[in-house]
Amino acid sequence: MSSLSPKQRLLDTLAKKRVDRPPVICTGGMMNAAIVDVMTRSGHTLPEAHFEAGRMAELAGDIHSETGFENIGIPFCMTVEAEVLGSEIDFGTLACEPKIARELFPSVKEVVFRNIPSMLQSGRISEVAGAAERLGRLHPDQPLIGSLTGPISTAASLVDPMQFLKELRKERESAHRVLEYVSNFLIAFAHTLVDSGATAICIGDPTATGEILGPRMFDEYAVTYLNKVIDGIHAAGVPVLVHICGEMKAVKPSIPLLHADAISTDAFVNLKLLKQEYPQLTTMGNLSTILLESGNPEKVSRRTETLVRDRIDIISPACGLSTATTIAAIRAMTDTVKEA
Amino acid sequence: MMLKSKESFFIDLSDAVVDMDEERTVTAANAALEAGVDAYDAIQQGLSDGMARAGQLFEEEEYFIPELLMCSDAMYAGLDVLKPHLKQVGESRGTIVIGVIEGDTHDIGKNMVRIMFETGGFKVIDLGRDVPPQRFVDTARESKADIIALSTLMTTTMDGMGTVVKLLSEGNIRDGIKVMVGGGPISPGFAKRIGADGYAVNAAEAVKVALELVGNA
Repeated sequence: MSSLSPKQRLLDTLAKKRVDRPPVICTGGMMNAAIVDVMTRSGHTLPEAHFEAGRMAELAGDIHSETGFENIGIPFCMTVEAEVLGSEIDFGTLACEPKIARELFPSVKEVVFRNIPSMLQSGRISEVAGAAERLGRLHPDQPLIGSLTGPISTAASLVDPMQFLKELRKERESAHRVLEYVSNFLIAFAHTLVDSGATAICIGDPTATGEILGPRMFDEYAVTYLNKVIDGIHAAGVPVLVHICGEMKAVKPSIPLLHADAISTDAFVNLKLLKQEYPQLTTMGNLSTILLESGNPEKVSRRTETLVRDRIDIISPACGLSTATTIAAIRAMTDTVKEA
Repeated sequence: MMLKSKESFFIDLSDAVVDMDEERTVTAANAALEAGVDAYDAIQQGLSDGMARAGQLFEEEEYFIPELLMCSDAMYAGLDVLKPHLKQVGESRGTIVIGVIEGDTHDIGKNMVRIMFETGGFKVIDLGRDVPPQRFVDTARESKADIIALSTLMTTTMDGMGTVVKLLSEGNIRDGIKVMVGGGPISPGFAKRIGADGYAVNAAEAVKVALELVGNA
């Protein structure tokens, strides 16, 4: 039997200490494993589990025990933040994740700044926090990862995203003000999660990609505000993982500038080469979610073996999982890492 | 005699679009009209040229989405000035039904592709984002569209693209309507697997593919 608890193994990995083998995790949020297969087996279903602490905790526990991922991850969507900030949410169905139905503001110039402490009392924040408290008690050996939508994506969920992207150039002062506001809110939300027992925070920011922003704006906005949020979370004493979507090619030199304790990437990125180029990075990823959905356990297992052999520090899916992914496919991934 | 050649008006329009300058585009459009430049030529050789150059800069990774969106704003501002002066509407190269597949609300890429289709001379029916597969098929049938263009940014919604192809086949209208797909997680291999007719890696490429599909390359 391994001497390290999954929680210690992840924390040691993030602290760059030597461990027996990489942890295999799925963070929740954008990368959640609330697949239909798990829900139909356990009867704890979405969308209900988005709304109530008890149900959220039950489903998070089911996901952990059925898939073999060595963590607990909540919530199961990227809309908790936008809902609290005031945008309209479509909560989706069993198989379809929640999304923004309508952004609250048409322009960064029109954003009304609200009081952050009072926002923390609204929306689903107390339910997510309540779920974290329960899960921390029930699974003391597992790392509890609180997932956060990144500042750029959250801002693009508050302001019409087409307008928002243009205003990053046209209305720089207002855009920066909105991102300051959003970042401060995200830090406060993350602190609530840490106070409720989160071991680590994972930030997914799918709008903050090189393909969308380009290198200049990635540096001006994404690096600045991701780091602001990361620093704010570090102040609460927990490590921060950041997932970068897309090819990353256009912004690769900016990645080491992030203050994150681990960088997770999409399947396009060759993590082995990224590690060679920037040995200081703790890498996480990046098993193709298309491969996982295709459901061939043998291929999943082979690809996972390669990631372990390449000394990727944390093994994880490369992006959001399809809800049609099977438990068997995920088991092929988690078992392979554990047997390594 | 014109003080300025027609070409220099086209260059002014094109440059203003590339420079993302709405005001300058409007000024250049008005100047062209006052000098007697044909509105259709000003759109094709001025504004569209500017968008094509912007698309090129995008391919070369000089421009990214925010820049391209601002170019298109400038292009539309110029279009608003020039459109009322069109003598006759240029012949459309075909009708395209475009939208983001159900379950996905990311429409930045789709909007770029729509703009490039429009400047490329297509009539475009934009169904927006989060569109159920059946609506693509119904709209294409009603509008006698030549092409259905599908986009998604999420791996979780890719299956809906295959559903559209299947629905077209089941409705026995697959032959008349070409299907093209694109978006972050989509690969040429995936396009082939679901039976799509075309794949484009970005907005500039999408116009070329569409022209090929309607036999107008």
